[in-house]
Amino acid sequence: MDVERKDWVRALTAHPVSRLNATADQLAAVCTVRLTRLPQAGLGLLSLIDGALHESYYLGEFPLSTCSVELAFPDGRQAEGGAQVMADDAELARSLAIFDAILAARLPGWEQVAELVTSGALQRGAENGRRRAMLAATRVDFALLSDADEDTDEY
Amino acid sequence: MSYVAIKGGGRAIAAAAAAAEYLRTAEGLLNTVAEPLAIDAILHQLRHLVDRVIAEGGVYHPQFAALAIKQSLGDTLEAAFVLRAWRSTRPRLAATPALDSSRMRLIRRISSAFKEIPGGQMLGPTPDYALRLLRLELMDESPEAFRAIARNWLQNYPEAQLPDTFPKVLDALRRESLLPPISPPHGATPFDITREPLVFPVPRSAVLATLARAETGSLLAIAYSNMRGYGDVHPTVAELRVGYLPVLLPHPVTGELTEVGEALITECEVVAMYEADNTSDKPTFTVGYGACFGHNEVKAISMAILDRALRKGMQNGPSNPSEDPEFVLLHVDGVDSMGFAAHYKMPHYVTFQSDMDRLRATQRKSEEPV
Repeated sequence: MDVERKDWVRALTAHPVSRLNATADQLAAVCTVRLTRLPQAGLGLLSLIDGALHESYYLGEFPLSTCSVELAFPDGRQAEGGAQVMADDAELARSLAIFDAILAARLPGWEQVAELVTSGALQRGAENGRRRAMLAATRVDFALLSDADEDTDEY
Repeated sequence: MSYVAIKGGGRAIAAAAAAAEYLRTAEGLLNTVAEPLAIDAILHQLRHLVDRVIAEGGVYHPQFAALAIKQSLGDTLEAAFVLRAWRSTRPRLAATPALDSSRMRLIRRISSAFKEIPGGQMLGPTPDYALRLLRLELMDESPEAFRAIARNWLQNYPEAQLPDTFPKVLDALRRESLLPPISPPHGATPFDITREPLVFPVPRSAVLATLARAETGSLLAIAYSNMRGYGDVHPTVAELRVGYLPVLLPHPVTGELTEVGEALITECEVVAMYEADNTSDKPTFTVGYGACFGHNEVKAISMAILDRALRKGMQNGPSNPSEDPEFVLLHVDGVDSMGFAAHYKMPHYVTFQSDMDRLRATQRKSEEPV
């Protein structure tokens, strides 16, 4: 798997939330989950740099859920994980934090999480491809009327 | 101004809400297969309506914006109000670092300044060049035909070797010293209009934030006044882009910036004619900036014009309403202004009784012999 940790949330959230929560519950059943930051749903504030004078301002808010966990396995292994996700869903944040801990430390079940990340990244890639297609299909090269042959249509 | 407390009417108020629900669902009386509007249908088929509500509500939550549209029967002002009411119940958990919009994953990118721009112009999904004629075939669109359109488009879409991001047109102009220099970052936290009242003069960050969640029609009307003659901004759109901005926050464990999601935004950068001033600085074009959540180009262009106009007004004093920060910023918010207009429907029995008493007294006085 060659998806960096900073891109795991984007990849994982390509899957249905119900599937993510079910998988997280299944993986968490064999370890102890300690919440180091309670799952919480709220808002984030989006700060943007304006493109004209490069000053920052707040464009608006977005739903944000967060959670941090520590996992402890019966064999003594432990790992820390956390997630912030643009969603109004604290349970989803908890699931993503569990995945983050498991995958980062290669704890039991990490292959399952890696598969979710890989397939999610593929879905995101396909989504990017569809967006690029809209660009490519509508690329325009306007010609000035004075420069164009009368009977030549342009693209 | 004074109001009067009233009581009673509870049953009528509940019945009024039920009557509105009756109208929402009355289609079912005549059509036995009538179905409620699905949130997904609103999200996809009324996407510009959703975009407008997320921008005016100030919260990027397309699903709840669609729900707000459904429950308000398509009234955008009410829908934005509902969305803001929801946001007021949520705790603020984090703020992103200042994000760079050049990282947007674009679906549209045009310039009216140059025929050729680095990376190329791409029209994307737009009705700009469509005839404004009714498409009567949509009156009776079959579900099969509806589903086939996107499927066919996907089968034929070109494999595109395009970069993820594109350079900005303004950066090229700036490299040629045709634009004002960028001031070094001053480190000040941007103004948060959701937490602080506007007390004038306000910083530019307050101006941009207020315009970004302004009501589209209000913004357009005041920008249009400037374009038409009550002002002097005749801009050239250096670049108008629509795309998905990756939203980044530090990872809770590593601290590394992590993509937590993405937001569709529209951004417009305009260049306006330079102005000679008395300083020894080299003359440059002036610039204006507009951006908002969702795909809303008229709003972004209007905002860019007003950004430019307001900066002029703040520097030299306003010479028309669109250059006056107090006039513009205090009148463009949809929820504020609709609230004020709607409050006139509320009982004003005591104040109006007082008005009548005063008028009668004045009439009596005027009838008295001098």
